[in-house]
Amino acid sequence: MNASAWSMLLEGAWVTLWISGVSIAIGVVAGLLLALVRLARIPIIDQILVLYISLARATPLVTLTLFIFLSAPNFGIQLDRNLAGILALTINTTAFNAEIWRSAFGNFSREQREAAMSMGMTPWVTFRRIMFPQLMITSLPGLVNEMSFLIKGSPAIAVIGIVDLTRVTNRISAVTYEPLPPILVACALYMAIIGCLVWLQRIAEHRANRLAE
Amino acid sequence: MSETTAVSIRNLSKSFDGVEVLRDVDLVVKKGDVVTILGSSGSGKSTLLRCVNWLEQPDRGTITIAGQRIGVNDAGKPMSMRELAKVRARTGMVFQSFNLWPHLNVLHNVTEAPIHVLGKARSEAEAHAHELLEKVGMSHKTAAYPNTLSGGQKQRVAIARALAMRPEVMLFDEPTSALDPELVGEVLAVIKALSAEGYTMVIVTHEMTFARAVSDQVVFLDKGRIIESADPETFFTRPSTERVQKFLERNEG
Repeated sequence: MNASAWSMLLEGAWVTLWISGVSIAIGVVAGLLLALVRLARIPIIDQILVLYISLARATPLVTLTLFIFLSAPNFGIQLDRNLAGILALTINTTAFNAEIWRSAFGNFSREQREAAMSMGMTPWVTFRRIMFPQLMITSLPGLVNEMSFLIKGSPAIAVIGIVDLTRVTNRISAVTYEPLPPILVACALYMAIIGCLVWLQRIAEHRANRLAE
Repeated sequence: MSETTAVSIRNLSKSFDGVEVLRDVDLVVKKGDVVTILGSSGSGKSTLLRCVNWLEQPDRGTITIAGQRIGVNDAGKPMSMRELAKVRARTGMVFQSFNLWPHLNVLHNVTEAPIHVLGKARSEAEAHAHELLEKVGMSHKTAAYPNTLSGGQKQRVAIARALAMRPEVMLFDEPTSALDPELVGEVLAVIKALSAEGYTMVIVTHEMTFARAVSDQVVFLDKGRIIESADPETFFTRPSTERVQKFLERNEG
C-alpha cells in the first residue's frame, strides 16, 4: 500500500468515527428522553413510542438507510448523504438505548427512592441527584455494547455512497488489485475504536463496584 | 390543635387489596415525646408509620405534622408531589434496611437533602453534618462509602441523614431488625441519646427492654387497631388487655 492508500484509509476511518460519534451522542440522550417519556405512561404517545421502538429494532440498518435517503425527496426534502446516514444510525441506536435506559429505571431500588422522598426530595431532584448518577454507571455496559454494535453496523451507510472505513477498502483494492492489506488495516482500525470504548467501560465498571452492596 | 402537638393521627384506615391493615387509628404525639409502637408482625405498625410521611396513602383519616396537614392541601385537594415533598421535609425517617445512597459518601449522604431540598449553603450543611456525625459516632468515616460500612454504622449514618433536615418528628421503622445482634446496641444507644436531647420520635420496634427504657408512651397494635396505649411502666407491668399480657409473656427473656 502506498501513502495515498493510507491517507484514504484514515479518511474512511474518520468518516466512520464522526458519523457514528454524532449518532451515538444524539442516540444516548434521545434514548434517555424516550425512556423518561415512556415512564410517564402517557396514553397514545406511549403506544407510538412502542411502535417506533419495535419498528426501529426490527429494521436492518442498510434497509433503513436506503429508505430514509430515497424517501426524503418524496417529502420535498433534499437530504445530504451524511445527514441521511446520521439519521438512520440515530433512529436505530435510539430505539435500543431507550430500552437499555428503561430497564435500568425499572430495576432502580425502591428503598433508595423512598429514602429520597422521605427527605422531601421532589421527583425531579430525586432523579437528578439520586437516580441518574447511578443509572448512568449501571447502564453504561449496555450502552457501550450498543455503541460497538452501531460502529460495527455503520458500513451500512455506504449503501447511499458514503465512503466509510469499509467502503474505502474497495476503492483502494480497485486500484492496487490487492484487497487483503486495506481490509486488514480497516479491521485493526475498527478494533482500535472499539477497544477505546471497552476501556471506557472498564473504568465505569470499576466505579460501579462501589454501588454494589 | 395545641402548640405542643408534633403529630396528630385521626381515624386512620388503610386496606391493601381488600384486607384492612389499619382501622380507625387515633394517635397524638406531643413535642419532645418518644412513642413506641409495638405489635406482632402484620399488625400494621410499619404501615402506620409509613402513612405519617405519606409513603403509604391512607384510605381515610387525617394526619397533621406540627399543625400542617399531609396529603391534602388547603384547598382540600390531594397534594401535588411538590406540596407533599414540602411536608415530608419536616419529618425524618430511618428505615429497617438503612437505604443509604451508595453513590455518595457518608458526608454527602447527610448533606444531600439540606443542600438540594432546603437550599442550604454547602459550608453550612457540612458543618451541621459533621456535628451530627459526631453525635452518632461516625465522624471518623465521613469520606467512606456506604458499602464499606457495617450495618450498625450504616444505620447511624442514616439517623444523622434524617436529623440533618431538623425534622419535627423522627420516624424509626424497625431500625435494628436488619442488624446482626452484636450491632443492635450501638444503634439503640444513639436513639436513646436522642431521646435525652428532647427529639420527638415515633419508633416501631421489637426491642422490649429498649421500648420500656426510652418511651414516654407505648402503643400496641393488633390487627390494625390500637388496643392498648399507656406509659411504659403501666404497659409492661399492668397491661389491661389479655392480648398484650400474652404478647409480653412470649417476648420475655
